[in-house]
Amino acid sequence: MLYLDPSSGSMMLQIILGGLAGAAVAFKLFFRRVRAFFGKAEAAGPESAETPDGV
Amino acid sequence: MEFEPGSFRDRTGRVFYRGQNVCRALTAPALAEWEALRGKAFLARGMAEGRIVATGRAGPEVQLPDDPGSDWAAVLTHERVPFISYPYEWCFGMLRDAALLQLELLAAALAEGMTLKDATPYNVQWIGCRPVFIDLLSFRRWQPGEPWVGYRQFCELFLYPLLLEAYKGVPFQPWLRGRIDGIPPRDFLRLLSPRDLLRRGVLTHVYLHARSQGAWKAPARDVRGDLAAAGFHKELILANVRNLTKLVRGLALPRRESVWSGYGEEPGYRPEDREAKEGFVREAVAGQRWERVWDLGANTGEYSRIAAGNADCVVALEADRDAVERLYEAGRREGSRNVLPLVCDLADPSPNQGWRGLERKDLAERGRPDLILCLALIHHLVIGANLRLGDFLDWLAGLSPFLVIEFVARQDPRVRGLLANRDAELYADYDLPGFEAGLAARFEILRRREIADGRRILYFARSRQA
Repeated sequence: MLYLDPSSGSMMLQIILGGLAGAAVAFKLFFRRVRAFFGKAEAAGPESAETPDGV
Repeated sequence: MEFEPGSFRDRTGRVFYRGQNVCRALTAPALAEWEALRGKAFLARGMAEGRIVATGRAGPEVQLPDDPGSDWAAVLTHERVPFISYPYEWCFGMLRDAALLQLELLAAALAEGMTLKDATPYNVQWIGCRPVFIDLLSFRRWQPGEPWVGYRQFCELFLYPLLLEAYKGVPFQPWLRGRIDGIPPRDFLRLLSPRDLLRRGVLTHVYLHARSQGAWKAPARDVRGDLAAAGFHKELILANVRNLTKLVRGLALPRRESVWSGYGEEPGYRPEDREAKEGFVREAVAGQRWERVWDLGANTGEYSRIAAGNADCVVALEADRDAVERLYEAGRREGSRNVLPLVCDLADPSPNQGWRGLERKDLAERGRPDLILCLALIHHLVIGANLRLGDFLDWLAGLSPFLVIEFVARQDPRVRGLLANRDAELYADYDLPGFEAGLAARFEILRRREIADGRRILYFARSRQA
């Protein structure tokens, strides 16, 4: 029920604004991206479940 | 009966009016959020303290506006705010206090598993000098992993306007009036110098924020999902809210010289003149109970306060922002509940604007006065702002049934000062006989009194249009 576009940048920035607690989130986000880059499936969602893992 | 034309952005609800009540129709999903909100302690506390508008569920007797194809599930009724105002009419202190209320409510909501889905000053209104949050539909259940959706809006409509004035000495009102969504991060960054980057809040909330706007352009990437999966939690929002609260609370106006160097003091006024003027206003105001008084050119609100003694609501309109600031500060300290100070240049007042020109309304549409005070102002408008005397009197006569007006004669030092560098013969119409004839043509003069050796004349009058 959101009518406002929060803007991707404004959401990501909030990790930095969260101070120390944000660092863990940033690390996890980065780690997930790296894993995705090396072809590891991201946390199982409907899309990844349907995509044949051919790589 | 129709819906309020300014209420359309959030599709899950719509405002309409029934008699003295402000009603809000809700869709089924919005009703579910209201049900979640209803039992929260912060809501009850906020309503009891007058910081959240008193709200309840309406019975089935409230009839909805005709709206084919809609599926409204419920109706809420809100207490009516005496006079709707917009952030481009507020002084610095008002926008700052509205921002602090927004932040306080967000923190309180998060503590009880709710959040605010937007962060706009248009959701804050005033009862006298006390801010009250009016959009109950903004509260929703917080979804685990969800960031603060209204953060950018908070920056654009609250933080940047405040920083603009506090750091650059530029008044924010024309910027908010100029763009209904406020100042975008990148535009605001361009207004700052490299030195400003060292000021509190600028590096993160302005510089990084502006940079971040282009950084995640990947189309349709589910950033909210990514953040949730990475374990974004509400402590991060709370840390940001605490930081912003500290930042906003510490912001102050830069010192500046105002047009009115000595507030409330006018040259050529002896104490007995002041007393006579006060007495005249008191007597005029005492005649009946007023629903809404407009004090035009209110200065620091001396006469607004007198009127407030016998009125439900006094709207104190003043072009000088510093005077409004003082009036607001005093009203806030006294806990004033029926004097609303607003920044307004009557020669350039707030227009109808926004979508279809109906989203934000001009002053008169938000509540006409039944009494106008227009004291020591007419020379500023007719000579200073070049309004035609007849036009101004026409406007007054069409606006309000009753008027207290002070005419400042040509020999008064204030008028002489205004004419000093103008061609005085251009303003030949500005004299006492001309004014009295113009006034008498439009108003029935009920009382008249000369003060300051006849340099100032007070009138209490009833409009012939009423």
